[in-house]
Amino acid sequence: MPRKSIDILIAEDDPADVDLIKEVLTLHNGGLIVNISVVENGEDAMNFLHKKASFQEALRPDLVILDLNMPRKNGRQVLKEIKSHERFKNIPVVILTTSNAVEDIDLSYKLGANSYVTKADNLLDYQKNITALEEYWCKVASLPTK
Amino acid sequence: MAEILVLGCLVVVCLGFFFVVLQVLKSKSKLLQLSAKDLQDEITIRKRTEELDQTIKNLQAEVMARKRAENELAKRAEELASSNKELDRFVLIASHDLQEPLRRAKNYAQLLEQRYKGRLDEKADKFIEYMVDGVERMQNLVRDLLAYSRLGKADLPFERVDLMKVARSAMQDLEAVIQENNATITYGDLPVVMANPAQIEQLMQNLLTNALKFRGDAPPVIGIIAEKKQHEWQVAVKDNGIGILPEYSEKIFQIFERLHDRKEYSGTGIGLAICKKIVERHGGRIWMRSVVGEGSIFYFTLPLRSTVGEPVTPTYA
Repeated sequence: MPRKSIDILIAEDDPADVDLIKEVLTLHNGGLIVNISVVENGEDAMNFLHKKASFQEALRPDLVILDLNMPRKNGRQVLKEIKSHERFKNIPVVILTTSNAVEDIDLSYKLGANSYVTKADNLLDYQKNITALEEYWCKVASLPTK
Repeated sequence: MAEILVLGCLVVVCLGFFFVVLQVLKSKSKLLQLSAKDLQDEITIRKRTEELDQTIKNLQAEVMARKRAENELAKRAEELASSNKELDRFVLIASHDLQEPLRRAKNYAQLLEQRYKGRLDEKADKFIEYMVDGVERMQNLVRDLLAYSRLGKADLPFERVDLMKVARSAMQDLEAVIQENNATITYGDLPVVMANPAQIEQLMQNLLTNALKFRGDAPPVIGIIAEKKQHEWQVAVKDNGIGILPEYSEKIFQIFERLHDRKEYSGTGIGLAICKKIVERHGGRIWMRSVVGEGSIFYFTLPLRSTVGEPVTPTYA
């Protein structure tokens, strides 16, 4: 049964990137309701999941889009914590980051990332990749129940 | 009788005395003669010894001065090396840090273009076009600067690198361009060298890219030949392209130096600067010969190395 809505948590410290990602995610979703929450650093990301601090009302996400380079607890640390936590480890996590370094890719998958996408150099490919991400995770793949 | 004896003895004694005195006088004169010559010699010897002493002192002073100059030079060389390293680090950090804001500027310039081209007015379209172009060029420059400055890091130990494999791999990477231009690339027997494989691949690729880019009207015909010299391998990449004027033969290896209009040929002008840096870091030299309208030959050398990675003969830096 096709999804009606999806809750996505974007952990990204660059607001310009956030706007770009949000735009693409909400623009071409053909009827799918996309609920986007944004956190700017790793600490907030974990608080969001744990529904702590200012995130008491947070909804458990269906998908996490995670940048590696964030202040106050970077993406690698967040990935590690999510994927080693009993309740959170089944949430699909997509790494979306500028780095295309082999070490980063390898480490991310080692820590349990579900996918690794490098932010494309030019706008068009960037948009295409995020559209493809959305297409895959929202429409092609099946997601675990919350 | 006795008086005659006494007189006789006296005479003998006198004669004897006389004789002795004569001898003494004779030898004294000889002594005097000897002394005079000796003295002369003494004086000459003493003079020569003094001169020698002075020469020794001068030489010692010269040696000291040379040693001091050498130390100064070594110190300067060290200072230069460390300031070069700092400069390299600075360029590395600066170009790395510049990438982020540049990425943002480019994304949004392109977004503006995507979203508003044709929707505002002609002037706005032009402004946006200029902006996108400017940011793209900046991005390319920074990316190339980063690549160039990254070459400053330590890359030893060297590995065995088969230049034939490198040539084939570069040709594979350039497959599309080769087809587009209907180009032919051939290579002779190329050696196995001790080098940094990634850098040698980059070197080969840059040279081949140039040979293809700066082609003439005829389809590019490119040849790679290696020659073993006394202490080094000399590799030549020959093309039949547009050629380069001799007055630019050094300039082309400088960073960001371009000889042509951006409309004619693309690129930031870093390819050959990177080649030069790579070759020199391997202890070799790079140069070119060319005839405008006929083609160019780019030569580079790689010193023969033992398997440990040290050159077989010391290279004079």
